[in-house]
Amino acid sequence: MTRMVVSTSPHITSKSTTQKIMLDVIIALLPALIATVVIFGVYPLFLTLLCIESCVFFEYIFNRIRKKEQTIKDLSAVVTGLILGLNLPGTVPIWVPIVGSAFAIIIVKMLFGGIGKNFANPAMAARVFLVLAWAGLMTQKTNPVIGTDIGYFSFFNYAFSINPGLDAVSSATPLGLVKATIETGGSPLQSVNVLSMLLGTTASSAVGETCAIAILIGGVYLLCRKVIDWRIPTFYIATVVVFTALIYSKSQYVGEYILTYLLGGGLLFGAFFMATDYATSPKSWIGVTIYGIGLGVLTVVFRRFSSMPEGVSYSILLMNILTPLLEKIKTRPYGVPKRNIAKEIGEKFKARSKKKVAAEGGENG
Amino acid sequence: MLRTFKRGTHPPAMKNTQDCALTDFSVPEILYIPLSQHIGAPAKAVVNVGDHVLQGQLIGEAASFVSANVYSSVSGEVTGIVKKPTAIGMEVDHVVIKNDYKYESVSLEPLENPTKEQIFARIKEAGIVGMGGATFPTHVKLSPKNPVDVFIINAAECEPYITCDYRLMLEKGQELIDGIHYVMKVLDVKKAYIGVEANKPKAIEYLASIVPDDIAVMKLKTKYPQGAEKQLIYSITRRIVPAGGLPADVGCVVSNTHTCYSIARAVAGEPCFKRAMTVSGEGVEKKGNYWVLNGTPYSYIYEQCKGNVDEKMTHKIISGGPMMGFAQVNLNACTAKGSSSLLFLSNKEFEHHTPSQCINCGRCIHHCPMNLQPRDIDDAVQEKDYKKALDLGVMNCIECGVCSYSCPAKRTLVQSMKLAKKSIKERGIK
Repeated sequence: MTRMVVSTSPHITSKSTTQKIMLDVIIALLPALIATVVIFGVYPLFLTLLCIESCVFFEYIFNRIRKKEQTIKDLSAVVTGLILGLNLPGTVPIWVPIVGSAFAIIIVKMLFGGIGKNFANPAMAARVFLVLAWAGLMTQKTNPVIGTDIGYFSFFNYAFSINPGLDAVSSATPLGLVKATIETGGSPLQSVNVLSMLLGTTASSAVGETCAIAILIGGVYLLCRKVIDWRIPTFYIATVVVFTALIYSKSQYVGEYILTYLLGGGLLFGAFFMATDYATSPKSWIGVTIYGIGLGVLTVVFRRFSSMPEGVSYSILLMNILTPLLEKIKTRPYGVPKRNIAKEIGEKFKARSKKKVAAEGGENG
Repeated sequence: MLRTFKRGTHPPAMKNTQDCALTDFSVPEILYIPLSQHIGAPAKAVVNVGDHVLQGQLIGEAASFVSANVYSSVSGEVTGIVKKPTAIGMEVDHVVIKNDYKYESVSLEPLENPTKEQIFARIKEAGIVGMGGATFPTHVKLSPKNPVDVFIINAAECEPYITCDYRLMLEKGQELIDGIHYVMKVLDVKKAYIGVEANKPKAIEYLASIVPDDIAVMKLKTKYPQGAEKQLIYSITRRIVPAGGLPADVGCVVSNTHTCYSIARAVAGEPCFKRAMTVSGEGVEKKGNYWVLNGTPYSYIYEQCKGNVDEKMTHKIISGGPMMGFAQVNLNACTAKGSSSLLFLSNKEFEHHTPSQCINCGRCIHHCPMNLQPRDIDDAVQEKDYKKALDLGVMNCIECGVCSYSCPAKRTLVQSMKLAKKSIKERGIK
């Protein structure tokens, strides 16, 4: 008898570890990454790898400087880098991913206490930061190279340039085109093609979010592996559908609007990969419901009424910031009776009026 | 749809010993019988050093109502009364008996067609306690303050590895049913349910074929903690035990399989001094289910079962199940009425992790069978804010281990819960 381990129960633990969860997310993002390479060429892949490397590097350096235990092994920095890379336009110069990664890891994640403590999804906060700082660069709408005579490596020309060629950028994304049809009153499907939205061969300022099929494959994988909470994407997407239907209820093209809103922009990517970020989403039923509905309503409102194209990012950022408040909602332990709030208020009121009567009685006496 | 409760988790079953029939375990030369094998006041020794005792002779007398008698498990000479730690680490008096291997025994008078009062008196006299591991004196449980209409037999055996109750159901089914009938008579209830997890089809089939009409065998979903009292009551009757309440508040009494069997034995005249026990894990060669006499040292079990714990390997020795049992510091502790299993886990079977930072995945919250927020309670405990832990309902925690089990960051959540509960009780925080 030499080495005996003594600890409190339970003595066995599940196979699930932080690292395995992050690995699952990476696997789930691979279809979207492959689709990106096929559709937009090799340069976005290079940008994504650069994001991953810089994220890991910044986390490593931060831990070294703060003399903290090294945490890069948990792969969360890789996930952040991957998501950030997929959320960049395919034509940005190479310092954009580096600056974005530094912001995501150092400011949003590590300064707030590292994994699980970030106040917003680091990749998404970094994207919003980049959009605000370099609006021109970050809202470039990258054109697909698939099916054109633009070479798969041609975007490397823009690695040090802030003025990509006209062949590389488009004037509008599908959602932009849809927005234009609202004014003219035509069907949104006149200007966009549903099949190309499903396959992702449309212009976009975030290369990873175009291919709906690839994102859905990843999302379903995460749901099957029980990595993400099914309630968040469900409530989010359902609210977008319902709220779009409400807003466009007068139009004869409600169905088409719903379809383009579902497939266009970053909704699917945001719903499966960004809104479900553990640290910034609530856990209780009430919290998750408010969170999901809030996301959906804000997204539709931003898309319909805002002049900026960042509906999903802003709504997720706003709801992320609301999460600490939603987390204050306590669960009701098993066996604790439901609170009857009406009765409680009534009793408080009664007690107060009794006190008042007593006080008045005292004065009289 | 199988009956079950909400939330919970699925640890691997690891019932390696389910086909090992119960056999008598060999008896050591020196036995250390703890005088506190139950919750409540320790029993008072009624023998002195030098006395000759017989198997089944009273050696410790219940000190109060919430206490239980203790009987000698062998015949021989009392060579001392020493203080020793038990399997849960409590220092209690142990009666040391030198076995003379003659097994001269005395027994209580067998009861024929006993009345309600006779059965109750016998349960108390024979020192029957809850033998699932909680060791609450059964006669206290059988005098509930509220009227009871349902008696539930906990045969879920939801802890991994343990199979002694399963073997008991298969081999001693008739005596088990007799025991259930005695308890039903004491409680004046008309209906009893045996709750068995679906991963024991043989036991369900066999019991269903022999039970009379007033006992029903319930097939429950295989999910941990199916055998937790409140969860079992919910699964079977859909009644919710109020927070801080007892099963009797919703008209139920729950008892373990082995307790019912021991009651049947007690009515037949044998007091409680031995029990079925599972010895399992990679660290022993002769895994199995054994009839073990109370007071057998763990080191003796290790020797007899050909313990082959590799010197170089890290290992863990657990008294009880791997989800709620107690890790042993050494093999000095002895078996008692509540020792359902002794596990020798090698480092292939358990992984020792250092806790890392919480990633807020919410698994502990989603799986907690008591619907608590272990993550938040853990945070409060780290800040030593026990008032907040209390507000979050930590006192409802049943310490089942689901939160720690499912945590990907391997945080010691149950430890925090236990600490919070203890600190709140000690400091009287309200």
